[in-house]
Amino acid sequence: MSTQDKPYSAARMNDAMLSSMQPPTIRWFLLAFILGAIVAVGLYAFTVQLTTGMVVTGINRPVMWGLYIISFVFWVGLSHSGTMVSAILRLSQASWRRPILRGAEAMTVFSIAVAGLFPLIHLGRNWIFYYLIPYPSQYGLWPNFRSPLLFDMVAINTYIIGSGIFLYIGMLPDLAVVRDRSSGFRKQIYSLLALGWRGTAEQWRVFSRGSTLLACLIIPVAVSVHSIVAWDFAVTLVPGWHSTIFAPYFVIGAITSGVAAVITLMIVIRKVFKLEEFLLPLHFDNMSKLLLAVCLLWSYFYFAEVFTTWYGHKPIEWEWFSYMHDHYGIALFIMILGNTIVPIIGLCFRSVRRSMPALLVITLLVNVAMFIERFLIVVPSLSHKNIPFAWGSYTPSWVELAIALAAFALFFLLYTLFAKFFPILAVTDVREQEEALIGQQRLGRTQVETLVNEE
Amino acid sequence: MEVLGVFDNLESAATAVDNLLEAGVAEAKITTLSSVPYPDGVLVKSEGKPRFYLFTLVLGACGALAGFSLAAGTAWLYPLQTGDKPIISIFPVGIITYELMMLFAIVGTLIGMLWGMGLPDFKPKPYAMEIANGAIGILIDAENPAEIERSMQCLQRSGAQKLCTEEETS
Amino acid sequence: MKTEESGIRWGMVIDLDRCTGCGACVTACQVENNIPLTDRQGFAEGRNLQWLRIERYWEGEFPHVRARFLPMLCQHCDDAPCEPVCPVYASYHTAEGLNGQVYNRCVGTRYCANNCPYAVRVFNFSEPSWPQPLEQQLSPDVTVRSRGVMEKCSFCIQRIRRGKEAAKLEDRKVRDGEVHPACAQTCPPGAMVFGDLNDPDSLVSRMARSPRRFRLFEDLGTEPSVIYLKGGGHEHPG
Repeated sequence: MSTQDKPYSAARMNDAMLSSMQPPTIRWFLLAFILGAIVAVGLYAFTVQLTTGMVVTGINRPVMWGLYIISFVFWVGLSHSGTMVSAILRLSQASWRRPILRGAEAMTVFSIAVAGLFPLIHLGRNWIFYYLIPYPSQYGLWPNFRSPLLFDMVAINTYIIGSGIFLYIGMLPDLAVVRDRSSGFRKQIYSLLALGWRGTAEQWRVFSRGSTLLACLIIPVAVSVHSIVAWDFAVTLVPGWHSTIFAPYFVIGAITSGVAAVITLMIVIRKVFKLEEFLLPLHFDNMSKLLLAVCLLWSYFYFAEVFTTWYGHKPIEWEWFSYMHDHYGIALFIMILGNTIVPIIGLCFRSVRRSMPALLVITLLVNVAMFIERFLIVVPSLSHKNIPFAWGSYTPSWVELAIALAAFALFFLLYTLFAKFFPILAVTDVREQEEALIGQQRLGRTQVETLVNEE
Repeated sequence: MEVLGVFDNLESAATAVDNLLEAGVAEAKITTLSSVPYPDGVLVKSEGKPRFYLFTLVLGACGALAGFSLAAGTAWLYPLQTGDKPIISIFPVGIITYELMMLFAIVGTLIGMLWGMGLPDFKPKPYAMEIANGAIGILIDAENPAEIERSMQCLQRSGAQKLCTEEETS
Repeated sequence: MKTEESGIRWGMVIDLDRCTGCGACVTACQVENNIPLTDRQGFAEGRNLQWLRIERYWEGEFPHVRARFLPMLCQHCDDAPCEPVCPVYASYHTAEGLNGQVYNRCVGTRYCANNCPYAVRVFNFSEPSWPQPLEQQLSPDVTVRSRGVMEKCSFCIQRIRRGKEAAKLEDRKVRDGEVHPACAQTCPPGAMVFGDLNDPDSLVSRMARSPRRFRLFEDLGTEPSVIYLKGGGHEHPG
């Protein structure tokens, strides 16, 4: 978008970018209702499990963890890109991040919140989940901080609060814009949320430096969270789990699924809210390059893991390995196809990186493949553990499937609500970019636009 | 008492700042209200370094201490042997210490930023709704009626669209 | 919290040469420890609640085929993988080398069962029930576990406690052979021997010094307290 053919106007940009916050249409209500209904079915399924016991799931001995833990790992993974990508791009001063960051950060907050539900759903006695929380009780007994599940709980808690703060603080100036443009009851709500922001020079200075500092803090947290999820598996003696590569492998897997999900959501948001003016092919191109890079990394890690297992040929690892290949061949094929072959070949082409339908297919395929990857990590290893007498298999029950599906519906419902009530594009960030573009400088025989940036 | 003049573009706002400085208003008394950030010096120059990162450091240290006490302290309060692991094991204690340090540092940054930005602040203050749509406000912190009058005139002369000393109600 | 220092380390020796795979120990365990019965479907789904099972392995090709039996119960590992992973200390190590399980504390993360290489931990998938009139014979010494709780062989800790109480009344130490878990007491060929591994003169210690001794998955470093004596000497002379 050049400044010549479209004169910059802050008011017009505000209108365009905040169009998603117009009063909901009947179609929006219909969507929210359908999503809500799926969540309700999931709640019903959970009630059945709560009142009958884990017998209604497909869990058995030896596969004591099933679809709940798979979903947990998947959602934690999905949460990894938003805040992290936004933070990395902020630190590297990639200006093209601006229209993307809000949607990505919101995705992080909602997917980590959904992920956080699964460890609670999966408990045998959900009603005493608070035994996991460190609080001084009359027993004098505390939780066992040597357990990876406690690392998990503490890390996810840190990540939910951290990414929530990152999202909220980044949204503060936008909330003030929304406040100034609304009236009545809505104005009161947004006034409260904007905390009285006026945009003084000092406020902006603190805001900019503080956001950079937050970005520095949130990246190591994100890396640690998924490493800890990986260590839930890697610290055990289960063949196929006990592997040093798991932490970095999980982190890369998480970023892969996260970047793919950000692109998917960007395509949907762009289409639904008609934001073609702001989410340009350039943004998709850059994000696709990022996805290509992490898909290559993921494939490298995967190869390193299976190759050493295959060559080492340790009997018990070989047993799990061949069981996976014999029984989950098709799943394995889809995983390789969706995580390696299709994205790596497809995203090499500029036309694919800039084509919305092609990107939609590829990014959805990547996330299907990532879900399968989580399944193949959890189930085959547990099915064929050390003792051959207790080998088994696992098929999820309708209760587990309903709850896993409801998690998706819940995520989309939260996201839909967020997009309706909060600015889904980072309004002031994008406008800052536009204002910075107005400089012109003579270079050789032509006038070029110059970017004015602090630092 | 704060005096606010609203300008519809950057150039006239910059002229207003120049005029104010000429009229003898100290630069530290002038600030801007805008809905997008401008690099330092485009309108006014800020002085000194923000100090909010001290909150990050202090709370981060508190968090590390809290994490250590939680992981090592509670294990020590009620020692229970599990496997061959020492009661106070280095890796778990390290991980919990790290996570709580980061949590507290992030919360500390939030508190520090709010403190640095003077938020939340719901008291009525001079403000104009046009600022959200790209207008720029020049705000002068004037002490006595003479200064208020001088600033008002200066802003008027520089082409302010709107002048006010109290909060807008529109 | 002070734990009593009795100097005992409970352990078991299972002589596979003597085991006939009759399953009497399994029944005894089921009765002694108030273990709910599982129907055919439950077994097929892997939801049986046996604390002790006889694993049957086939060796060789027909017609030169032999069945091998391996009684499998909680190995009460010294470096138990199940213990540190429990977030609520439901699984912990007692001073006498037992791998304790606190049912009231268990929230049912099932992490311990995943990390048990012997797969001897069982989970209460549903509320326990017994067909009439079997609920009349529940042992008052043993808790009936609610659903959602992990459980496993306790080396019949209720019997150990009774034995220690009797010894304390007479102001002496527990004598070798005084305490037997239900399985060892029942075993018709006497393949299972229980006792104090720290007492070099106890029967279990003497048997544990046999050259036929081995422990399961010793390479994993779990240091089990159950010692097996290799069987099959008769079929494979030399």
